[in-house]
Amino acid sequence: MPGSMPTNDEWNVLVQAVASRGDRQAYAALFKHFAPRLKSYLLRAGCAAGLAEELTQEAMLKVWRKAATFDPARAQASTWIFTIARHLHIDGHRRQGDAAAAPAWDDDAGGADAGAPEVAADPEDGPERLLESGRREQRVRAALAHLSDEQAQILRRSYFDEQPHALIARDLGLPLGTVKSRIRLALNHLRRLLDGFES
Amino acid sequence: MTIRHHPEDELLLQLAAGRLEAGAAIVLAVHAEQCPRCRARVREFEALGGALFEALEPELLAPTALAETLARIDAGPRAAAVAPRPPAVRAQLPQGLPWPRSLAGCAIGPWRRLGPGLRWSRIGAPLDAQANIFLLRVTGGRRLPMHSHRGREMTQVLYGAFDDGRGLFGPGDFDTADDTVQHQPVVQPDRVCDCLASVSGQVLFDGGQARIGGALVGM
Repeated sequence: MPGSMPTNDEWNVLVQAVASRGDRQAYAALFKHFAPRLKSYLLRAGCAAGLAEELTQEAMLKVWRKAATFDPARAQASTWIFTIARHLHIDGHRRQGDAAAAPAWDDDAGGADAGAPEVAADPEDGPERLLESGRREQRVRAALAHLSDEQAQILRRSYFDEQPHALIARDLGLPLGTVKSRIRLALNHLRRLLDGFES
Repeated sequence: MTIRHHPEDELLLQLAAGRLEAGAAIVLAVHAEQCPRCRARVREFEALGGALFEALEPELLAPTALAETLARIDAGPRAAAVAPRPPAVRAQLPQGLPWPRSLAGCAIGPWRRLGPGLRWSRIGAPLDAQANIFLLRVTGGRRLPMHSHRGREMTQVLYGAFDDGRGLFGPGDFDTADDTVQHQPVVQPDRVCDCLASVSGQVLFDGGQARIGGALVGM
C-alpha cells in the first residue's frame, strides 16, 4: 500500500508528537512501521533471533524516551531510529569485549546522536539546516533509485551485513578479490549520482 | 585550513555504518569534525543508512512486542546512571589549540619521550582497552624512522606538517597506509608536527632504536 505509506515528513511529525505530548497512537504507528525493520537489520547484523527481538524493543523504548532529542534538521526519522539501533548493537559488542567496538564518541549519553556529536555538530549551522537535511535525504534516495539492483545490494550488504564481503561474493558468485572493486565501483557510481543531483 | 588529503568514501561509509574498530573510528571522526567536505559525506552516508534501513524486508515480531514495550514505558525510566567522570587529559597541543571534540571521553596520556625529537601520548578509548590510538609529536625538521605496517595505519594531522614523499600533509589532512606502503615522514622544519594515529596490526620499524620505540608504543 505505497499510497498510504507516510512520507518522511510525516514520520518526523509522528516522532515530534511523541516528544511533545506522549502521543501513543503516533508511537504505535512508528512501532508498527519501524520495529519489524529494526529486527530485520539486527538479524542481518548477526544477532540471534531472541537478541534481535530484545534489542528491537530496547531501541523502540529509546525512541520514546529520546523523542525530545530528535532533530529533523540533523536527520530524518528513519535515519534517527536506525542510528539508535546501530548504537545499541555496537554497545552490545563492546560489552562482550568485541574488538570491532564502538567509537569513543559513540556513547549513549544524551540524545541518540549524542553518540556522534562530533560528526553531527556543524559550526556553520543556520536556519537552512532543516531544508538541507530534507534535500540531502531526497538526493540520497534518488541516487539509490538510479543504481542497478546489484549495486544497491552491494551497498546494502556493505552497510548492514555481518560479513559483507563473503556474502556479496557468495550471492553474486564472485571471487572475494573482485568484491572489493565492485564495492568501489558502486560507491563511485553513487558519488557521481549524488554530485549530479546537487544543484 | 586547506585540506588536501581525505579518506575514501568507503571509509566514510564504514564510519557512518558503525563498522570500524574504535581507533579508526576516532581518527576518522576527528577528520570529519575538521573537514566540512567529509562531514557532509558522512551525513550523506548516514542518510543512505536510513534509506537502506527503511527498504529492508520487515521481520515478524512477537505479537506482544508493542504491548511489552508500552508496559516498559509505563514502568518509567530506570534510575539515571551517574555521569562518568571525564577522563584525564595530561598532554597539550601547541599554542593552546583545543582538543578535537571527537576525543571527548578519551583519556589522553602525558607526552613521553620516544627518541630524539619524538614524543608520544597514549589515547585511551572508553571501554575499548584494545584500541591502539595515540598522538605523535615530532620536532620540526626531524624524520620518523622508516617503517611499514602489518595492518592499517590512519593518521590525522592536528598541527604542523610532514612530507613522506607521497605528498605534503598539513593540519586537517588525513592519511592511511597499509602493508603496501613503506614510508618515512619528514616534518617541515619550522614547527613541531602533532598527529593523531591509530594502528591495527603492527607497525614495522627498521633499526634497533626504532624497534624499542615501537615496542613502547605497543605496536
